[in-house]
Amino acid sequence: MDGAGQRSITIDPVTRIEGHAKITLHLDEQGQVEDARFHVTQFRGFEKFCEGRPFTEMPSLMARICGICPVSHLIASAKACDALMAVRIPPTADKLRRIFGLAQVIQSHALSFFHLSSPDLLFGMDADPAKSNFFGVLEAKRDLARDGVRLRQFGQQVIERLGGKRIHPAWIVPGGVSEPLTELNRDAILAGIPEALAIAERALQWFKSVMENFRHEIASFGNFPSLFLGIVKKDGGLTFYDGNIRIVNAAGDVVAHGLDPATYSEFLGEKVEPWSFLKSAYYLPTGYPAGIYRVGPLARMNVADRCGTPKADQELAEFHELQRTAVLSSFHYHHARLIEILYCLERMEQLLNDDQILARHVRAVAGPNAFEGVGCCEAPRGTLMHHYKIDESGLIRWANLIIATGHNNLAMNRSILQVAKHFVKGNELTHGMLNRVEAVIRAYDPCLSCSTHAFGEMPLRIQLVDASGNVRDEVCRPL
Amino acid sequence: MARILILGYGNPLRSDDGVGWHAAVQLFRSIAVPEVEVLPCHQLTPDLAEPVSRAERVLFLDGARSAPGGEFHCEEVLASEGSPSFTHHLSPTLLLAIARDLYGAYPRAWLLTIGGNTFDAGEALSPEVETALRALKARVRELIAETIGDFASAR
Repeated sequence: MDGAGQRSITIDPVTRIEGHAKITLHLDEQGQVEDARFHVTQFRGFEKFCEGRPFTEMPSLMARICGICPVSHLIASAKACDALMAVRIPPTADKLRRIFGLAQVIQSHALSFFHLSSPDLLFGMDADPAKSNFFGVLEAKRDLARDGVRLRQFGQQVIERLGGKRIHPAWIVPGGVSEPLTELNRDAILAGIPEALAIAERALQWFKSVMENFRHEIASFGNFPSLFLGIVKKDGGLTFYDGNIRIVNAAGDVVAHGLDPATYSEFLGEKVEPWSFLKSAYYLPTGYPAGIYRVGPLARMNVADRCGTPKADQELAEFHELQRTAVLSSFHYHHARLIEILYCLERMEQLLNDDQILARHVRAVAGPNAFEGVGCCEAPRGTLMHHYKIDESGLIRWANLIIATGHNNLAMNRSILQVAKHFVKGNELTHGMLNRVEAVIRAYDPCLSCSTHAFGEMPLRIQLVDASGNVRDEVCRPL
Repeated sequence: MARILILGYGNPLRSDDGVGWHAAVQLFRSIAVPEVEVLPCHQLTPDLAEPVSRAERVLFLDGARSAPGGEFHCEEVLASEGSPSFTHHLSPTLLLAIARDLYGAYPRAWLLTIGGNTFDAGEALSPEVETALRALKARVRELIAETIGDFASAR
């Protein structure tokens, strides 16, 4: 609630993120930013929606939550179902699921970097909004735009080759995958990797060449101490599919390692704030809100000791040189995202060249053998957890989904406040200031698209409201 | 190669929001001719510009929030000519503009919409939207026939 003399600016919706949200900046009497909040104004409600359904339906149902990362929900859900069945899936199915997940990361990261964030990076934060969009990129740097479309297309085609044409493929099933990989599809995917790798390397080189232009943003875009959380392999290597949770602090020191994701409720808390439908996750031992942590590309680069592929490892070593501690600025999510694309392509090639990748045994069959199961993977935006409880008939009694955007909610709020304090002055509303507030959110690439897509067709609205609730100023950006 | 691309989009877990997706799935199952490619999807994304660029005609199937529930509407659409902001949801006109600017392609395109009644969590379409879906599919078949003639091999 606005106090006496306090005003607020509302940015509604935030453009170029997945889904629908708005930002409110609360100003004090001097027009200085006092508080900032990232509101998620849609209600997902899918956890309630799946109660009473057979658990075997969950993967295909959960894959329809989101049009941007359906595969991640599919994988986390199938892994929760594997746990309910208490089965170990065949090794080839494990590898095929990994390839599927890597393809998802590639296409999702491509959308985030090339289509949503590259206008900011190419034209700068103060550029005319009429120019600072994907069409502007098309005009000014055609190769970059074309690379973005090609890379996303590559990831999407891998998903289609493995899972079928449909956007919500049900190829991943409880116990494994429904069909083995054919030699034809393996060879076709392998043939596309060199071009995709070249695109990823070009994008990385370009990003590093323009990074110097954003010193002010690097200093203020979520550049604060926090914890970082992600799953890693037993040897501390990067993984998107399977592993235990590692948490590092701002100094880069490991504060927790080998945490079983199935026991997440013992070390992660979730809090609901009245101004957002998005739950805020926090690290329980540190409490709320001090237990703020970040997930996603930046966190993964901070928690992993190595990638395990040559080109990505070289880039990771360079990345770690950015800061002696953990890399703290959320601006570097972009950088981390590009390294991950490189890793995904290299790792995909390794897996496709595995001797057993064409094996026919790809599914374990069983009924329900446990009443509770947790599935965890690294989605493009961060750690994703599906937790189900079933009854004796195998029907879902309870479900809980912790999505990456929820893990990052506290960090996004703090990042907005930092950027707003640095760049926004209440009596000087400029596009560049407000775009920076939005841009820091885009760095996290939050995915809220489980709303109806029609919500995204609203214009951007910025309101200046005085203490009495009167709208003193309003800016509306047309679509 | 397919001459007609049908893109039906929406969230099938959000009741009437998913009408475009449902329409595409039903058309995918009922139209079996190589000249027609049907892609059900959650939302329009930039990579779809490539298949759009390869088509002679593109049919966009969508739900509409602004129209009364069950109202069917069909109009020809052109690539955006202005300086559009690029948001997280591409519109048909923006997707056509990417196909034009990136690939030099100018397919004719139509947007077929049905007004939705409810956008709450749910898999079923409302009765009015279900009824209007028949009109939408009939119009799609007319547009296909105008391009490739009678498609007798359709199931």
